[in-house]
Amino acid sequence: MADRETREVPPPAADDERAEEVGQAGVRGALRRRLTETTTWTFLILLAIVAAFALLRFEQFATVFNFRNIAADASGLMIIAVGMTFVIITSGIDLSVGSVLVFSGVIAAKVMEGIGGEGWGAIGAGLVAGLLAGLAWGVVNGVLVTKARVPPLIVTLGTLGMALGSALLITGGIDVRGVPLVLTTTIGIGQLWGVPYVVIIAAVVTAIGAVTLAMTRFGRYTYAIGSNAEAARRAGINVDRHLIKVYGLSGFLAGMAGMVSLARFATTTIGGHSTDNLAAIAAVVLGGTSLFGGIGTVLGTVVGVFIPAVLQNGFVILGVQPFWQQVAVGAILIVAVYIDQLKRRAQERGERR
Amino acid sequence: MSEPLLEARGVTKSFGGVRALRGADFAVHPGEVAALVGDNGAGKSTLVKILSGTLAPDGGEIWFEGRQVTVPNPVAARELGIETVYQDLALAPELDPAANLFLGRELVLPGPLGRLGFLDKAGMRRRTNKAFADLGIGLQDTGAMVANLSGGQRQSVAVSRAATWVSKVVFMDEPTAALGVVQSARVRELVRRVRDSGIGVVLISHNMPEVMELADRIEVLRLGVRVARFRAADTTMEQVIAAMTGALGNEDVA
Amino acid sequence: MRRRWLLGLVAIALVATACGGDDGGGGGGDTQQQYKLSLIQGVKGDEFYITMECGAQQAAQAAGATLDVQAPDEFDASLQTPVVNAVVARKPDAILVAPTDTKAMIPPLTQAKAAGIKLVFVDTTTENGAELAESEIASDNLEGGREAARALAELTGGKGSVLVINVKPGISTTDARAQGFEEEIKKTPGLKYIGQEYSNDKPEVAAAKATAALAAHPDLVGIFGTNLFSAEGAATGLRSAGAAERVKIVGFDAGPKQVEDLEQGVVQALIAQKPADIGKAGVQQAIAALKGEPVQKKIGTGFVVVTKENMNNPDVRPFLYKSSC
Repeated sequence: MADRETREVPPPAADDERAEEVGQAGVRGALRRRLTETTTWTFLILLAIVAAFALLRFEQFATVFNFRNIAADASGLMIIAVGMTFVIITSGIDLSVGSVLVFSGVIAAKVMEGIGGEGWGAIGAGLVAGLLAGLAWGVVNGVLVTKARVPPLIVTLGTLGMALGSALLITGGIDVRGVPLVLTTTIGIGQLWGVPYVVIIAAVVTAIGAVTLAMTRFGRYTYAIGSNAEAARRAGINVDRHLIKVYGLSGFLAGMAGMVSLARFATTTIGGHSTDNLAAIAAVVLGGTSLFGGIGTVLGTVVGVFIPAVLQNGFVILGVQPFWQQVAVGAILIVAVYIDQLKRRAQERGERR
Repeated sequence: MSEPLLEARGVTKSFGGVRALRGADFAVHPGEVAALVGDNGAGKSTLVKILSGTLAPDGGEIWFEGRQVTVPNPVAARELGIETVYQDLALAPELDPAANLFLGRELVLPGPLGRLGFLDKAGMRRRTNKAFADLGIGLQDTGAMVANLSGGQRQSVAVSRAATWVSKVVFMDEPTAALGVVQSARVRELVRRVRDSGIGVVLISHNMPEVMELADRIEVLRLGVRVARFRAADTTMEQVIAAMTGALGNEDVA
Repeated sequence: MRRRWLLGLVAIALVATACGGDDGGGGGGDTQQQYKLSLIQGVKGDEFYITMECGAQQAAQAAGATLDVQAPDEFDASLQTPVVNAVVARKPDAILVAPTDTKAMIPPLTQAKAAGIKLVFVDTTTENGAELAESEIASDNLEGGREAARALAELTGGKGSVLVINVKPGISTTDARAQGFEEEIKKTPGLKYIGQEYSNDKPEVAAAKATAALAAHPDLVGIFGTNLFSAEGAATGLRSAGAAERVKIVGFDAGPKQVEDLEQGVVQALIAQKPADIGKAGVQQAIAALKGEPVQKKIGTGFVVVTKENMNNPDVRPFLYKSSC
């Protein structure tokens, strides 16, 4: 067996030294990235908006009372938007969230009504039923997207209609009003040390969502599938099972938002959620998540939820005509995403070597 | 010559009416670079996909370390110690190199946090930096998204991923196809290092000069069957090309 | 740099809209007390509420007060609540509001009262309206329902089935109208009352319910639509089913579309409320409450029965609803 002539290969640099060098460059890069990240920019926009309103109408806008209300009013959307963040990062979409919210509320209210009485047993059973209903719709979405291979836009458009239609069938189109009063007075409008319970619930959901997305394997798989599903598959990740979990999560959180809404309003508010899906998507995109998948954070979504919420509140305080408010919110959405695009392109140019 | 590490015997595969492989054979041994060459449509990519678990064969046998095996999916291939650098790299562009290196094999923190799935990001970064350093890859900022790296750097990430995890056989499908001169040289260096550590490297390439330079042995596939085997040191590029086009065949030459 | 420029643009846009808004701002310093009032309608774009706004604006101007108007996108408590909360933050002296739910709107309105703002309920009310509001002003909807029954009995010749298309339960006004109708229709034994359906304030739902009832009851001769969208929708449904001649419709409210329907003979009578009067009375009661003068706890405004024959009379025409002030 004739041997190949071996070439002189220079020995690799002392391993640890080189590794450290590479590591340091990484830290510098990470810092630069943090400063130019979308979330930072949209957060600054939010601060600018808050500052502007505070400047214009200080005693009316910049009060604990007002901020507390803004947060409470935004709590349902926040919960939905957390789920939507996961879905959009996988480069999917979930249009059914408003309908699932309503359906879950209807199921919960019917269960509470059916069990009867004013006690926490009925309430607890109703809440569990509502959450399970939301989860069920989410799993339906996930299974149709993965196994039937129907695009998420179409699947969730279908479940949007089916969930809302089912809710209307069950109720005859009339809001269910037999919710035990104690649910509203405690969780719905109650507070813990000055913070409304619904805000605490939304905050806890957001925190868990943020940690899961940023720090766990579940979050990493979400990013990977959104970035390159085929690569994830070849790396041994069960893409179908993960997507079912993600859509299931979105449905479950829509159900939770339905429970929060039921607690606040003591009625199913069937007619009030037809644009929740678009509001959630706008919030997620405003927060820096890419509709093409692979990029995004829950923290960004928080900012994205509060920008329209603060705008709407501030405009009412300023006395702007209601129709102008919609125009303004839409325009700012476009401006904010445009700024993000500029920043993204600049970052790409800077990092390429 | 030592026993083959991975062997294909009489593998067949059809796609509809097209017979891509018609009883193809292939073998790679430990510590060698075996090039798999052939013209377009010869069946190289199909054979690689079958041996790396991405496709299922219609017929034939696969032998690994002296016993017959099946490779039903990429995870099964990984468990045997087979890694693949795909032609499309199969990287997640929005993730950083460390995340890509550990894709599907993430490190988790010790203890209860680990059971919940909390990632050991620092640990993965450290191991990645070391792997890059070991393999002589000069990546300044390992926190950057892979999408923002140059073509050569991305290739390096894909190659080093395979090199880090491989224990037996690594397939490299067109590893320098889109690279410039300097980057190609680095990848070739990497290939040699991997080979020198005892791994069997299967090189699929159209780049004949590169094949002649890197490979220890060359196996030629034509129209779904093996038609020739050469020792690179004992042969010329012209002979190999002749075998690819059918003008020459020397099957059963040891 | 480009980004700073864009941020500046955003800031300027905000300041511009601020100037576009009303003057509001801090108080004090004026010798003459100029009251700051807010009107929160039930929903945007509804001529009933727009006419109310016109009447309220006139009264506010006459009294030297400012009136800001806000409304939710849909007639729903979950959408009206953030609007109420924001208006309360604005600290007006008094709020005229049409609550979209008798129960669900109690918490935010209670917060408003706790903030020292005087409340006047216009059109709809809450379960505890008497305690929460200085004054409740609405059409006497029970009487309105009775009027509708009388009109329908006359129009249909007193024989056949009649249907009520209501909005949704939990709205004080429409519930009262349906109730009044039900009571009064019993006085005409030849008419069979087949019950009420709900439109959820959506014309397309009202249309569907009308055609469904027609299919189930071939002897349907009359429909009472308890609000603007319900009547309008029913008319559309009957028209598309080709039953516009056979079935008489009495609607509530006289918006421009319904007046057109009246002219074309699709609807035979409209029970017009007097929303402008409600708005005017609302402002007057609010200012009386602010000045510490006596208020009227309940005011019931009246109706005008509008038909194709009398709609251009000088005593009827002013009560047709406006789509802008």
